[in-house]
Amino acid sequence: MDIRLLRPSDIPLIQHANLENLPENYFLKYYLYHALSWPQLSFVAVDVSRPAKTPYDYPKIVGYVLAKMEEEPTDGVQHGHITSLSVMRTHRRLGIAEKLMRQSQQAMVEAFNARYVSLHVRVSNQAAIHLYRNTLKFETEKTEPKYYADGEDAFCMKLDLDFIKQQILEAEKAEDEQDKKKNNGSEEKTKEDQDEGEPVGDVGRDPEQDKKIKVKVGRGLGVGELVERDESKH
Amino acid sequence: MPQILSTKEANLFRQVIRDYEEKRYRAGLKAAEQILKRNPKHGDTMSMKALIMNAQGKTEEAFNLAKEALKVDFKSHICWHVYGILYRTNKNFEEAIKAYKFALKLEPESQQIQRDLAILQVQTRDYEGYVQSRFAMLKARPQLRQNWTALAIAHHLEGNLQEAERILTTYEKSVSVAPSKTDFENSEALLYKNSIISEQGETERALEHLEQECKKCLDRLAVMELRARYLAELGRKEEAETAYRALIDRNPDHTDYYKRLVDVLGLTAEDEAAQKAIFDEYSAKYPRSDAARRLPLDFLTGDEFRTAAKAYLGLMFNKGVPSTFANLKHLYSDSFKKDTLPSLAEEYLQEAEGSNAEASSDSSKGVGAALFFLAQHYNYHMSRDLTKALEYVEKAIQLDPKSVDFQMTKARIFKHQGDIAKAAEAMDQARLLDTKDRYINTKAAKYQLRNNENEKALNTLGLFTRAETVGGPLADLIDMQAMWFLTEDGEAWQRRGNVALALKRYHTVFNIFDIWQEDQFDFHSFSLRKGQIRAYVDMIRWEDKLREHPFYFRAALDAVKLYLSMYDKPEGVNGANGNNANGEDAAEKKKAAKKAKKEAQKAEKEAAERAAKQNPNKAQKDKEEEVKKKDDDPNGVKLAETKDPLGDAMKFLEPLLQFSPKNIEGQIAGFEVYIRRKKYVLAAKCLKAAQALDENHVKVQELAATMQKTMDGVLESLAPKVQEALKTELA
Repeated sequence: MDIRLLRPSDIPLIQHANLENLPENYFLKYYLYHALSWPQLSFVAVDVSRPAKTPYDYPKIVGYVLAKMEEEPTDGVQHGHITSLSVMRTHRRLGIAEKLMRQSQQAMVEAFNARYVSLHVRVSNQAAIHLYRNTLKFETEKTEPKYYADGEDAFCMKLDLDFIKQQILEAEKAEDEQDKKKNNGSEEKTKEDQDEGEPVGDVGRDPEQDKKIKVKVGRGLGVGELVERDESKH
Repeated sequence: MPQILSTKEANLFRQVIRDYEEKRYRAGLKAAEQILKRNPKHGDTMSMKALIMNAQGKTEEAFNLAKEALKVDFKSHICWHVYGILYRTNKNFEEAIKAYKFALKLEPESQQIQRDLAILQVQTRDYEGYVQSRFAMLKARPQLRQNWTALAIAHHLEGNLQEAERILTTYEKSVSVAPSKTDFENSEALLYKNSIISEQGETERALEHLEQECKKCLDRLAVMELRARYLAELGRKEEAETAYRALIDRNPDHTDYYKRLVDVLGLTAEDEAAQKAIFDEYSAKYPRSDAARRLPLDFLTGDEFRTAAKAYLGLMFNKGVPSTFANLKHLYSDSFKKDTLPSLAEEYLQEAEGSNAEASSDSSKGVGAALFFLAQHYNYHMSRDLTKALEYVEKAIQLDPKSVDFQMTKARIFKHQGDIAKAAEAMDQARLLDTKDRYINTKAAKYQLRNNENEKALNTLGLFTRAETVGGPLADLIDMQAMWFLTEDGEAWQRRGNVALALKRYHTVFNIFDIWQEDQFDFHSFSLRKGQIRAYVDMIRWEDKLREHPFYFRAALDAVKLYLSMYDKPEGVNGANGNNANGEDAAEKKKAAKKAKKEAQKAEKEAAERAAKQNPNKAQKDKEEEVKKKDDDPNGVKLAETKDPLGDAMKFLEPLLQFSPKNIEGQIAGFEVYIRRKKYVLAAKCLKAAQALDENHVKVQELAATMQKTMDGVLESLAPKVQEALKTELA
């Protein structure tokens, strides 16, 4: 068992693990959408002990967390969201789900400055609720009635990620001090540390927005139009 | 001359375009017809109408109309553009590119056409063309960073790393204001450039670039991993050690970090104790890390192994970790370890019995876990003794009759005993122990399929598929691209002699791979907007070898073999006209086909009923937005009626040979198809490849004999050139 970042080539077997384990399933393209939008946030647990059967074996996925950033947060606060998390029943009790979650949470703060992470969980899923509430310290925000396709309610849960931010700041401080000691003040603080100029290019802006209506006929399906079977769940 | 629209109609025309884009197809058609009423020869409107019709699934009419539009206004870039789009949506990329190029010649300034062309070029891996297109796009809008990045990607994919780097640098130099720390696009572009430097083999420079430019990059993990790797490659061992230790602190369950740490410390396989000390250090520091405890079992030998394995097994049994056997079975290639592990498990049982300690309330822990381990040990092919396996599993079940895991293993043992029916039954019993768990549901269905119970399996799976999917569980499984099911279901139908449904399933797998290939299409532009370039390039590389995936291989090999048998025994296997086959078999097959037809009719009826119950408004809307092409051969009857099974097999075979050439089964299948098609040179190639992979393979020797015999018969009759080629191949 090995925990590492998700790679695009893992996706068919992640999709397979999802289909084997959970009733909420997605097209391959939806996994790709995660892997290509927030490649830092999704992790897999891989069974590295399997003897290879062919020269073209792909590592067997025994657990995964598929995570994203909320693209248009209704509360205006940058936050992450767990789309899907599952561990094969054959690979339970090794803390895989928790480890996957922690890796993802760390990256959410580092890469996207997430303030919190949210998720949905079936109200009947005791094991998952225990993990989120007791181990990872999530809090239940509310119950969403009939959230799941089969009519079951979901708990909306949230975890404030400020504690990770604090850890990062402390680590940076320690590192800076070490650097200072090393350099003994001989070098000036680099300029880029202070500079907070305007972003270059058009981060986050849709370049198609300002296009003339003249001939937009060729516009293909945007990835934003992807059909998701259901919002995230376990 | 093209007709000129009045202002009002020109506005209406713009409305048509908007309607099309927002998928209001009926409104769009209405508006288009309004224009055409007064300007029946307005090419652009005709084209737009064609485009909408195409989106509604009326492909043929759409093409006819688009061609007519071109006739009346062949100098309109819109007409050519639409013509290209029609080809594109119908997957004729070559013709689409041609049409786009024509459109672009008429309207060189059109960003839209240029971009559509560029996307198709990268989709079809015409990198040369892609470089040209991206260059033109950069020239048109150099102020956009993504245009620079895109040109760099084009050069990179074409293999011109230096040029890719140069483009990225040119952009960087043109920026006067330093990007903000939180500028993600910038952060990723820097790391992308770093990957290009590294790919050129210039590790020293890559490290320097990383430390100077990427220190503040937002992808911390990438920066840490790259730095550690570069340091290790450059032999800067002390720094590399620190770097890998920092990575282990971050994720103590990634095995690769430990391996590399051991490497940079210069420890060899003989330094068992020194290596062990590292892992001990980390298992003390991170008691919950499995890797730190388990990895030493890979390199330890003799008594050291015994001691470490005993501790590890004890811990795992106490915790009741069900994957303990799965996590250790790779050690069985070492016969000492293969013998030691079960004896340690026995020891554990004896000690538990002796101590008579308070029995755990959770019987999956302790004794139960050890019994479970032993059951799996004796069920494993390298240490198989099925009688013993059954003994242990029964003991475990006695301890906990409600354990899904134990019951599941029992079913597996039955399978290995060759009693598939009993195995399926046992797996279904396991399922009943936890009907809310889809994993065990899936396993039960899989075993039912192995037992040729297709209908029953579908019912089982239907307990978890989405109830509202039109078409029932089967449609849901196809929609959700459930490869495992399609393959197993096809194989079961094939065993039951239902060629039609078997072929149908294999073709569905094939089509899903087409979808997966097409899935990348939108990302060519999307990823540029998102700025996640490294992930995008990874995706491109993976898509390039998409069909080497075992999911493809298995279904494709099944299909090729089935087509071969159809060719060899056209009367026997073809379910559609099975009257020539011998009595019992034919009757059985007829029955199966009849049953399958009934099932399909039932599913269709149910789907119709469900559709009728849907909210009429919603149904309307769905219908308009999502024009699903109706499958005109849902049960594969037409597929099974083929007159050219070998020709049909080629569709599956070619990717098999192209993407998995090192798989001997593929080469063997290739030979069988080619020799029957009298493509002797190609057959010889497959034979040669198979021989190179495994000369002693029984089947390979058979093929060689067949080849020889065939050659003896036909060589003289072949063209001299072919004879020559054959002699070289077989030399």
